[in-house]
Amino acid sequence: MKITWNWLSQYVDLQGLTPKQVAEDLTNAGIPVEYLAPVATGIENVVVGHVKSADQHPNADRLRVCTVAVGAAADLTIVCGAANVAAGQRVPVALVGARLPQGPIGKSTLRGVASEGMICSASELGLDVRLLPRDQTTGIFVLPADAPVGESIVEYLELSDMVMELELTPNRSDCLSLRGVAYEVAALYSRKVSMQAPELRTPPQEKLPLTVEVATDRCMAYSAQVVSGLSLRPSPLWMQTRLLAVGVRPINNIVDITNYVMFEWGQPLHAFDYDAIAGGRIIVRDAQREEALMTLDGQARALEPAMTVIADPEKALGLAGVMGGESSEVTANTRAVVIESALFDPLQTRRTGKRLQLRSEAGTRFEKGIDPAATLPALARAVELLCAYGGGAIASGPRLAGAALADVEPGQDAVRQVGVRAARAAAVLGFAVDAGQILSVCERLQFAAREENGTVLVDVPSRRPDIRIEEDLIEEIARLVGYDHIPATMIVGPLTGGELSRAQYLTRLATDHLIALGMQQVVTYSFVSPTVAERMRLQPDDELLRMIPLLHPLSEERSVLRTTMLPSLLEVAEYNVNRRRVDLRLFEIGTVYLPESLPLQKQPTERRVIAGLLIGQVQAPSPHGESRTIDFFDVKGMVESLLLRMGLEDKAQYTRSQAPFLHGGQAADIETAGSAIGLIGKIHRDVCANFGMDLTDAFYFELSLEALLPLVRDRLRVEDLPRYPGVSRDLALVVSRTLPVAELLSSVRSAAGLFLEDVRVFDVYTGEHVGDAEKSVALRLSFRSRERTLADDDLQEPMAAILRAAKSAYGAVLRE
Amino acid sequence: MKDKLLALRDEALSRLEHSDLEAWRVEYLGKKGELATVLRGMATLSAEERPVVGQYANQVRAVLEEAFAARKAELDSHQATLREQAETIDVTLAGRISYLGAEHPLRKVIRRIEDIFVGFGFTVEDGPEVELDRYNFEALNLPKDHPARDMQDTFYLTDEILLRTHTSPVQARTLERRCPETPIRIVVPGRVYRRDDDDATHSHAFMQIEALVVDHGIRMSDLKGILVQFARELFGADQEIRLRPSFFPFTEPSAEMDIRCIYCHGDGCSTCKQTGWIEILGCGMVHPHVLEAGGYDAGSLTGFAIGMGVERIAMLSYQVEDIRQFYLNDVRLLEQFATLTR
Repeated sequence: MKITWNWLSQYVDLQGLTPKQVAEDLTNAGIPVEYLAPVATGIENVVVGHVKSADQHPNADRLRVCTVAVGAAADLTIVCGAANVAAGQRVPVALVGARLPQGPIGKSTLRGVASEGMICSASELGLDVRLLPRDQTTGIFVLPADAPVGESIVEYLELSDMVMELELTPNRSDCLSLRGVAYEVAALYSRKVSMQAPELRTPPQEKLPLTVEVATDRCMAYSAQVVSGLSLRPSPLWMQTRLLAVGVRPINNIVDITNYVMFEWGQPLHAFDYDAIAGGRIIVRDAQREEALMTLDGQARALEPAMTVIADPEKALGLAGVMGGESSEVTANTRAVVIESALFDPLQTRRTGKRLQLRSEAGTRFEKGIDPAATLPALARAVELLCAYGGGAIASGPRLAGAALADVEPGQDAVRQVGVRAARAAAVLGFAVDAGQILSVCERLQFAAREENGTVLVDVPSRRPDIRIEEDLIEEIARLVGYDHIPATMIVGPLTGGELSRAQYLTRLATDHLIALGMQQVVTYSFVSPTVAERMRLQPDDELLRMIPLLHPLSEERSVLRTTMLPSLLEVAEYNVNRRRVDLRLFEIGTVYLPESLPLQKQPTERRVIAGLLIGQVQAPSPHGESRTIDFFDVKGMVESLLLRMGLEDKAQYTRSQAPFLHGGQAADIETAGSAIGLIGKIHRDVCANFGMDLTDAFYFELSLEALLPLVRDRLRVEDLPRYPGVSRDLALVVSRTLPVAELLSSVRSAAGLFLEDVRVFDVYTGEHVGDAEKSVALRLSFRSRERTLADDDLQEPMAAILRAAKSAYGAVLRE
Repeated sequence: MKDKLLALRDEALSRLEHSDLEAWRVEYLGKKGELATVLRGMATLSAEERPVVGQYANQVRAVLEEAFAARKAELDSHQATLREQAETIDVTLAGRISYLGAEHPLRKVIRRIEDIFVGFGFTVEDGPEVELDRYNFEALNLPKDHPARDMQDTFYLTDEILLRTHTSPVQARTLERRCPETPIRIVVPGRVYRRDDDDATHSHAFMQIEALVVDHGIRMSDLKGILVQFARELFGADQEIRLRPSFFPFTEPSAEMDIRCIYCHGDGCSTCKQTGWIEILGCGMVHPHVLEAGGYDAGSLTGFAIGMGVERIAMLSYQVEDIRQFYLNDVRLLEQFATLTR
């Protein structure tokens, strides 16, 4: 919402205040002023001139030599190149020594004729030519015939007027009018608002009959009046410059007046061509099925019953509160207009505007709600201005319909009573407040108030629909006393221990551990493209395919919710690989969204996943020997290290994974006690290629945080240190090359008896010393008793049992 | 005999430096060495002479053994020096450094803010990103078709299920779950979504942190007290703040908190648009409708809520100009955070 200082000063006394001060105080009162600057700057010594004559230049076809009176003793000779200059015009004249936004004006000689200044165009004055009518932006800026010769153009066009742009919060729709801002400024400085509401007038004789009927509950009030004898012409220059300053394009006197009054009172108005209204009958009703309307912008609109229209008995004339129709548009041939000032249902206006994607200053105001007390004054004000600046005369009495106007006393605001207790205000705000203070705040706001048994009863006028409950008034008190007045105190109450939940704590632990392992944390979007399914080689029955679609995505690329972290990390890898960062160790603890069914019936499960992606060298290049490419066991080592850190490494089992996006021979599902906790593996070559990376050996792992949560260890009782030495034995077993070592180990463990403390694989050999289909697995077995030192004899039976078990289960042979 | 011993001593000492040390030891100190030979001759001495010469002989042995030990130490040390010379490396060469990981800047900011509030006695809560209209809007005093819903363009999944537009639904959920418990002191970090086209200052997904206190006797001055301390911990001990009236449907009164510009300290610069202040968060006293929706009696309880954008704070703290930088994950940018100690 833009306003100007001069315009505002018409409604509230601004004596002794500066725009800068007011802007700052409004900002501190919750009406932030985003922009404050003069309409135009850098203009000096430009005055209104009268072109007495404009003669052909003797030496140039396109130039005219003008004699211009500027209110000084002598007339000036000015050479002008504009095609539209003519004798008798009033024009802006930059005198010799003048300043314009693009530079100073000096004396010059054009084709042999000395020129004592310059006649200016609108753009040379720094006006926003995009908003001006075309005939005022081609050539010089022709001023009205009554412009006072010699007056400074800055004064005349109010170019030094200050424009303020307010960034209004949605609750302060009252400040979508100068009236509202005037009340706000008045409250800040304890001043009075001087805004007269003109009265509706009835002509002695009804020349052009009008009837108004409201046949829908989506119109709370409708008022209208006919003005005849209008001539369509530009509105007065002061009105145009004000509208321009607040960003509204001047069009003609009728449209400009409706806009001007809307800015003044906050009430949108509409003008219909009287002759287009059949029988002079206006009916406000719901649109019919399959009804159509050609709107002002030349678009044919298909209407729906959810929309409200202004109609005559034959046809729809306009969309209520949204846009007028072409058939009733005011044109040069219009001899009379119906001015409408109405209250339409905010929801209806909002929905219709959204449906047709029509947004306007009027629509915004209807949506936020309009003060019913402004409806009739706005109508009267528009009629008054049409008579004054459009040559019009009132041709019908005012017609009123609708329930909302019934309670409005002319000239009196409707009120809502809200009570506020001083004690409550003090308790909420944290500083002392008494009834006297509240009454004084109400006085500043120009709300009638009285105290009754410790409660201040406030008559809140309808112009402030945001004030409905006690807290709203408490905010008004704090706002006008000033938020700076609020002290800083400490909460009174019991001590509470701040803490993280287990999941949050575990997230931090995993984050810190992975970072310590040299991994870089990333944060990616949750939306992915549906094409990731195909790029990940997912099969039609894969549950990862159940990605929830957004109803209205911003792009296809981000249109579904991810079910796996892999595509997110692959995108990050691709981005960095394209920038020649080929050694990557990325991780994210992110969310995937798993619906129970699609279409979505209820909220999906949101699962937190620790996911990592690794590409490139094991170590940063160093002068100490060749590094090597990262492999499966580097990544598995990291996962094991992380699981160990969480206290559950022993519990994890790795079984060959069938995940379609991983390498068929280098991928494992990770389980504990039969339930899946994650997976790890080399990413399938085609998947890498589908994400724009051809060369790479890329590895991926993911662990479900929720699955880990119940398993992690957060209590420890230390074991007594052993008192007797342990004994270790090495054993090499030749087994089938395809036998998973984990199986061999589990049979060794179960056969080894009570003394086995630990068993580790320290070598796996394949080659000439074993058969082609065989491998030799070297184990180091550690034995210990807690009661005594073990002797050789103690180990004979366990070692023999291990061999027997391995032999019978896997045909293992002792390698000599 | 005595002369013989002295002569032996002098000869041995004079030859020590030029002999092989072990050969020298065998020659003079060995069981069959010179000294032993001399001592074996003691049998021919008289009973009076024997102890005198014996004492002499022991003195000479001690001198020679000491000389031997000193020479051995000298040679060992020389050997060690030679060995070290042979093993000398260029210590200026870089070590085998493992990759340095780093926390993402947004996570860093969240952790920092969580820690500040945990220090104030707040519990960290979280909630679903895919939310019900009821928690995201209705329980927060934003009924259907409320114009303020326009402030937050929403991604819907169905008519009733949406991606939360703020972390505030966790307020509603926590109140509902914990009612009638008091006090409520929570801090809620999380990801939120708005249907905005991405540009330098907007992102369709971003993060917020929200704090909520509900109890008997909570005042707006308590809110200010927490904010003053929060700003000091986050931005430095002398950080100034101010509150300005604002509007949020779920708080009343509502406020916007500005901090004194951390770059120009109030003199005016481009970051603070010459105002000397930077808007940093929204806050206010919990709206009675929100308390009531959670089952609490708004007549006897009050509370305050604070909400802030994580990206905004990260952008200010690390002078990042474009919000999209945080989601591009260019490791050249992220790696820089490996060196930041907090």
